[in-house]
Amino acid sequence: MFKDKKPAMPSPSSAETIIAQGVKVEGDFSADGDVVIDGEVSGSVATEKFLRIGETAMIKADVKAHSAVIAGEVQGNILAGEMIELLATSCVKGDITTKRISIAEGAQVNGKITMDGSSTERKKNEE
Amino acid sequence: MYCYLYDEFIQENKRYERELLKIENRLTDLGIAGKITRLALFRNAEEMIRDEIERGVTTVVVLGNDETIRKVIDVVAESDVVLGLIPIGPKNELARMMGIPEGVAACDVLSARRIETVDVGTVNGRKFVTGVTVPNFRAELNCEDRFRITPTARYADLEIRNLTGVTNPCDGMFEAIIRAAVKTGWWIFGSEKLRESVLPMRSLAIRSEKPISLFVDGEEMIATRFDIGIEPMMLKVITGKARVF
Repeated sequence: MFKDKKPAMPSPSSAETIIAQGVKVEGDFSADGDVVIDGEVSGSVATEKFLRIGETAMIKADVKAHSAVIAGEVQGNILAGEMIELLATSCVKGDITTKRISIAEGAQVNGKITMDGSSTERKKNEE
Repeated sequence: MYCYLYDEFIQENKRYERELLKIENRLTDLGIAGKITRLALFRNAEEMIRDEIERGVTTVVVLGNDETIRKVIDVVAESDVVLGLIPIGPKNELARMMGIPEGVAACDVLSARRIETVDVGTVNGRKFVTGVTVPNFRAELNCEDRFRITPTARYADLEIRNLTGVTNPCDGMFEAIIRAAVKTGWWIFGSEKLRESVLPMRSLAIRSEKPISLFVDGEEMIATRFDIGIEPMMLKVITGKARVF
């Protein structure tokens, strides 16, 4: 019964990198650990671990993470290797590629959602 | 072989005389007494330490405060010698972080020789141990030539932390903290709250059109550009049990 249970989304409490409100990041931003973004980012965002995009965040960038929780605005494509969770306040303008997805009522998605694991692998191989 | 470096203010101030006598007696009791070198107005601390290292000194013990350590940190970090501290007087933040008690009690910590190797930060080639602060930060941060960070808030502070209670000074990285005052709430009913950005990194550059003030371990530097980096596992220092890392 418990074997089918998927692992829960990791907690952002242990975030190593925080981009808070009042700060703007431009360029290719990448981090090794968990990332929390509440400010502005343009360019690209990449982390091997967990990414949380807060309600006040404004992202104009392609996003790549292991798993992500989105509550703010993202203009760009999102690639989450494991899981993505779109909260009610989120607004995504771009394509989403992931294995698992959760979309709350009120969340806006304008783009293509691809959930075929093999296509994710194919994209990685192409890179 | 130990070398003890006495800061100028200790020698000039009569109230440290008795404390110095106790320290010297305790060091002799513990069998770690060594050559005493005294700082003076026209004596270059770095040259004095370099000469002593050439003569075979393996442990340089600073008697003074954070400012005394700043005078010798460049030459000590570059050499393969161990830094010891006997904190005397005010402004001894580094000694507190290293877990070294003030005055004569520090002699027992020195004798125990619990040595830790820590990272040392650099600002335009000058070394620092604890951190750097930039009050009223309005410039641009260029991080590892990959991305730029600018504060958008009306007021922001920048702090670079290497050795504090919450950072690991042995991981080959420092933390850049930007505290921005962000207005929350509506119109006149709103209030300003500090939002803290935290970015672990290995190098960054500060660029500004106007000269800005930067405080390195409490000492002020003024320039339009600062290059900040980290030199991993550079400084060997004697620490106490109560160290913060």
